[in-house]
Amino acid sequence: MLAYTAKRLLTLIPTLLAASALVFLFVHLIPGDPASILLGDTATAEEVAQLTREMGLDQPLWVQYFVWLGNVLQGDLGTSVFFKTPVLSVIAAGAETSILLACMTMVWIVLIGVPIGVLSATMHGKWVDQVTSGGAMLAASIPTFWLGLYLIFIFSVGLGWFPSSGFPSLSDDGGLANLRYLVLPSLTLAAPNAALIIRLVRASMLDVAREDHVRTARAKGLHPANVAIKHVFRNALIAVAAAFGFTFAALISEAVVTETVFSLPGIGRLVVQSILRRDYPVIQGVILVIVVLYMVINLLVDLAYARLDPRVSLK
Amino acid sequence: MSVLKLMPSALAGRKLATIGFLWLVLVLLAAVFAGVIAPFDPLELDPVNRLAEPGWPHLFGTDHFGRDTFSRALYGARMTVIIGVGSVVVALLSGGLIGMLSAYFTKLGHFLMRGVDVLMAFPALLMALVLITLLERSVANTIIVIGIVYATTTARILYGMTLKLKNEVFVDAAVCSGASHRSILFRHILPNLISPLLVQASFIFAFAQLQAAALDFLGLGLPPEVPSWGNMLSEERIYLTRAPWLLLYPGLLIILSVFSMNLVGDALRDNIDPRFKDDISGV
Repeated sequence: MLAYTAKRLLTLIPTLLAASALVFLFVHLIPGDPASILLGDTATAEEVAQLTREMGLDQPLWVQYFVWLGNVLQGDLGTSVFFKTPVLSVIAAGAETSILLACMTMVWIVLIGVPIGVLSATMHGKWVDQVTSGGAMLAASIPTFWLGLYLIFIFSVGLGWFPSSGFPSLSDDGGLANLRYLVLPSLTLAAPNAALIIRLVRASMLDVAREDHVRTARAKGLHPANVAIKHVFRNALIAVAAAFGFTFAALISEAVVTETVFSLPGIGRLVVQSILRRDYPVIQGVILVIVVLYMVINLLVDLAYARLDPRVSLK
Repeated sequence: MSVLKLMPSALAGRKLATIGFLWLVLVLLAAVFAGVIAPFDPLELDPVNRLAEPGWPHLFGTDHFGRDTFSRALYGARMTVIIGVGSVVVALLSGGLIGMLSAYFTKLGHFLMRGVDVLMAFPALLMALVLITLLERSVANTIIVIGIVYATTTARILYGMTLKLKNEVFVDAAVCSGASHRSILFRHILPNLISPLLVQASFIFAFAQLQAAALDFLGLGLPPEVPSWGNMLSEERIYLTRAPWLLLYPGLLIILSVFSMNLVGDALRDNIDPRFKDDISGV
């Protein structure tokens, strides 16, 4: 296990380096000169020349990359053109919303996805299964922003149960009650992902149900419910647990659309707004942070998976 | 099995998938004949009749410029087909070629597949956003961006499937009979991959619609003047409380089309070579 972990960590490093190079190149691929883009239309030639020197843009590209990487490793992601503050603090400001949203979404995914998936698998082939499987596919076919808009229309505008937009921090007035701002967004984000989990729980339970140990359990006269929960579900859970991890890793970037619909001050909306504002240092920083998070979480899930399932070969 | 025979046998006995297929045919017809069927010019402004309720002569009502929603929806079908087919072609051509070549030429494969791994470190929507930042908003660029995003998964899948086929006896036989690399790849291996590719194509088509709609909604997809279902939703969202039907029609059209494509993809998948079944996953 230790050797496997070390090996996986070692293979992560070149991928991370390559991904960081891509993120770095991103600003240089933008048509036009970064210094004049950053300064805007009103800048004079001298100002542009000065910023070019300050940013080290007159150096060879590979030198610039290593200077940038060195800064990144020291936690310096540059300065936002729009906010005039360090990029890292701009990202940190959105972290609370994004993390809470992702956690709440995961709660819905588990609460909705697992029971319906189990039901679907135990009723395999019956009408209940057909309705839930079809329903799951339908849910995954809905554009998230459309669902979000109609949830606002029904539950905020119509019934007035939940606020329609924004999210004050939990440390502001209201405290934990502020979580009600995240109910509709988290449900919106959960819908397509819960659909995936339903299909996955169903598929992995049906896979396990075909195995010999399940047949033995049935043959020795165990109650069907007992077989379904202790023998099938528990084994199917390994694959499902891994899917939870991957889903969580993807939520931060999937939240881009949902955060925009509900005007949440999270990292996802920051990405879109920075793109619209052409705030390149922030775009670069956010993408780097999301990609690193995504890769690290995926690695952790893989490691956890290998530990949970003794049949996984570590080679 | 030929591609033409694939569809009837996949749809046999599957009512819902058959309805889905018929819906897609309808969308295709609307796309082709939008210019003939549409009762109004999709761009024609009529400020007097803005936000009209569904009825006659405006079947789906009018938007905040007084444009006919039904006619715009018909032209939107055209965009749906163009974006879907375009993304599928870009993804399958680039991703498919990378996957097949990587599996066949092992040394090249090490290099290329590491590149694919790096691209896959970027979540799909994020990668689309990054690419769109570098390009201008246009139909072609939207297709390229979505195509590239799904080229990575396609490359992975085709890599796996080509590796499986590479060790088959019929490939050895082709090598022994002196066939060239090109002939082995495209005349012996590729024909075996056509039906799984068709399944992958249907899932990419479905995903592409959702991604394109999301990009439109964020204001980073098709140019705003293009009548697409995503743009219709994006433009009319502030009128949700005053004219809720304006968002209902384009939304339902997207949902029905994506759902249908997923159903058809699922039906096709159940009919392909069992060796490849687990390689491709849709929703």
